[in-house]
Amino acid sequence: MFKRSLLAGLSLALIFSLVVFSMPSSSRAADATATLTPAPTATPVVSDLGSGGTHIAFWNGLTGSDGDTLNAMLATFVKENPSISITTEEIDWGTLYPKLTAAFVGGEPPDMFIVHVAEIPYYLKQGVIQPNDDLFDTNGGPLPAKDFAEPAYSNTVVDGKHYGVLLDNHGYGTWVNNDLLTKAGLDPKVQPKSGAETLAMLQKLTIDKNGKNAADPAFDATNVVQWGTAIDWPHYMFQSLLFQFGGTVISADGKKATINSKAGVDALQTIYDWVYKYHVAPPPAGFDSWVSFQTGKVAILTTGTWFRNRIASVPTIHWTAWPMLQVGPQPGVMFGAHIMLIPANTTGDKLTAVKKLMVWVSNHNADWAASGQVPARISIRDGLDPKSYPSNIAIGQSYQVGGHMEAPSPSSLDIGNAEDPELSAVLANQKTPQQGLDDAAKRIQAILDRQ
Amino acid sequence: MSNTIVTGSAPAATQQATRRFQINLRRRESLAAYVFLLPFMFFFCLFVVRGVAAAVNMSFYDWDVLSPVHKYLGLGNYNELINDDIWWLSLKNTLIFAVMTVAGSSLVALGAALALNQPVRGRGFFRVLLYAPSLLSAGVVGTTWVWLLNTQFGIVNYALHFFGIPAINWLGDSNLVLPALSLTTIWWTFGFPMLLFLAGLQGIPTLFYEAARIDGASPRQIFFYITLPLLRPTILFVTVLGFISHMQLFSQNFIMTTGGPGYASYSVIYYLYQIAWKSFRMGYGSAVAILLAAIIVIFTALQFILIGRRVQY
Repeated sequence: MFKRSLLAGLSLALIFSLVVFSMPSSSRAADATATLTPAPTATPVVSDLGSGGTHIAFWNGLTGSDGDTLNAMLATFVKENPSISITTEEIDWGTLYPKLTAAFVGGEPPDMFIVHVAEIPYYLKQGVIQPNDDLFDTNGGPLPAKDFAEPAYSNTVVDGKHYGVLLDNHGYGTWVNNDLLTKAGLDPKVQPKSGAETLAMLQKLTIDKNGKNAADPAFDATNVVQWGTAIDWPHYMFQSLLFQFGGTVISADGKKATINSKAGVDALQTIYDWVYKYHVAPPPAGFDSWVSFQTGKVAILTTGTWFRNRIASVPTIHWTAWPMLQVGPQPGVMFGAHIMLIPANTTGDKLTAVKKLMVWVSNHNADWAASGQVPARISIRDGLDPKSYPSNIAIGQSYQVGGHMEAPSPSSLDIGNAEDPELSAVLANQKTPQQGLDDAAKRIQAILDRQ
Repeated sequence: MSNTIVTGSAPAATQQATRRFQINLRRRESLAAYVFLLPFMFFFCLFVVRGVAAAVNMSFYDWDVLSPVHKYLGLGNYNELINDDIWWLSLKNTLIFAVMTVAGSSLVALGAALALNQPVRGRGFFRVLLYAPSLLSAGVVGTTWVWLLNTQFGIVNYALHFFGIPAINWLGDSNLVLPALSLTTIWWTFGFPMLLFLAGLQGIPTLFYEAARIDGASPRQIFFYITLPLLRPTILFVTVLGFISHMQLFSQNFIMTTGGPGYASYSVIYYLYQIAWKSFRMGYGSAVAILLAAIIVIFTALQFILIGRRVQY
């Protein structure tokens, strides 16, 4: 009898799990009233575009809706250039880097690929990319060098040679739920200007199950139903605040880890306090900040320009885009730039086709704005329609004021990999901000010493 | 009838001839066995032994995959490893995970096997059903369980909510993340040990049970004094195999937690991946792999000593 019950119990548990697996994720949401429509469509991992004889293998990490935007652009390109065909592979960034290196080692890299500007020194050190000076007007080429936004453009020129063509600027900004702000008596058009103002706003927007906000002494921090904000990506969040407090991750000469400076500790302490002292943000590990913003559970979300299409797909959320929240004494926001690079062994007709494609994509940079990213070409960026691209414009402009890029370094990926678990440990309350940053500095210094 | 004196020479010659024949036969059989083994050995040496030898060699170098020159470090990588706090943390996490998962998986598998060994209706169906999760890929299991265990939208917390239990941050709490990964892994992998236990149970002669029942043994006594002792070879096999497998934890934490929060779910193989495929330090990564292999060998030997000593074949 016992064994039969055990068998039935095990089977029921299994059937239950299998039934759950077959349900769409949205139907498992704790809040049945939450709206998650329309469901995002997966970007095809591999797309074959065109049938021309000159074939380009093109790898990138644009696995979100930005991949759809790029593929749509490339489809137009092959229509206009029928002699060229393209196979694009959208590969998760974490997999793309090892795959690229393995492909270079194996001698079979793609014909072109997209990474970030900060990673140019890494590929350059390995000798696996080639310059393309002939594409810029400084060398008689078609692309106006001065039309590319700084400081990203300068980072593409190494020892007087241009490497790749910039696609965009992308980075952190702020999304605001207009309805929740209005309900709390706040104006969605007015962004706070200091750490104190920001904290006061977040406290007003953090509500417990009894309707008390986080500034109320009777606030129940263990039963929060609406968060003021959420820490979506600690790496970008911390570095943005680090710049606001005047710090850097490594020294200007790239030889010393400076992440554990006072500025660093102040920046991380601010985020830590939001979570554990003021309770205006949940611990980031295990918290789905995008879905929470989409379902009205988070009032203000600091995240990347790439969030545009996701939030635009949720008609029930009325939003406004702000530049990055200012907490430190000066404006500061982290941003990066996607760049199209050419491997050293792309030659002949393929090289000609790749260069033609890169120039075409750059000249159609306005179409790329549909991905949510900020076009790299200044003339195109400044000409964007404010009604269609409010986040690209509002957030893009902030990069010119207080934007900081990840320092280009042969070890930029390694440095990020050393930094991120430490930030995660601090925000999971395993370490103090000082301990976490000291450990991060120790690991980053070891990387720099090995360089 | 004449008595025939049997001399020793003829039988001795026959015996010698028989012995020669047996030796030749044994040689021929051995030769045939070697010939049959040869293709396997060839590919085993080509893809496994060569790889292991290359890894051992690499572990003595600063081996950058994109550089043609590799600096010889001697035991430098091993020296760095024993002073590496992340290595020790990863090893500790891996051991905790392996012990939890082997124990949990073995218990669940044994319970399921005992139940499935009974003459219940639809036994074949239940066997397939309980084995089904083992057929899923790591990606499917990981992605699904991330949603099941999601703090805000997961069905596990939704169910707990009915009992008045507040939402639990399964994958974001450093104290819960390893048990949560272990739970996922047990659900995913208990099917195979269940089959092994089932085979073990079916290999126990029924006459033991009949004799015990005649002697008035209770089901509990039968289980502890007949079933369990006679299952020891299977238990040894399941635990050894499970330990070797779970010491190589990678896909679950790679997909579900990326090693976090902090380093709370870093496993040795995950750390190895970070070193070898994110930082491309193949020499240091090889040292991690070699040391992990040595640790697995030591623990396997310990298991054989501790459990194997009491095995009754």
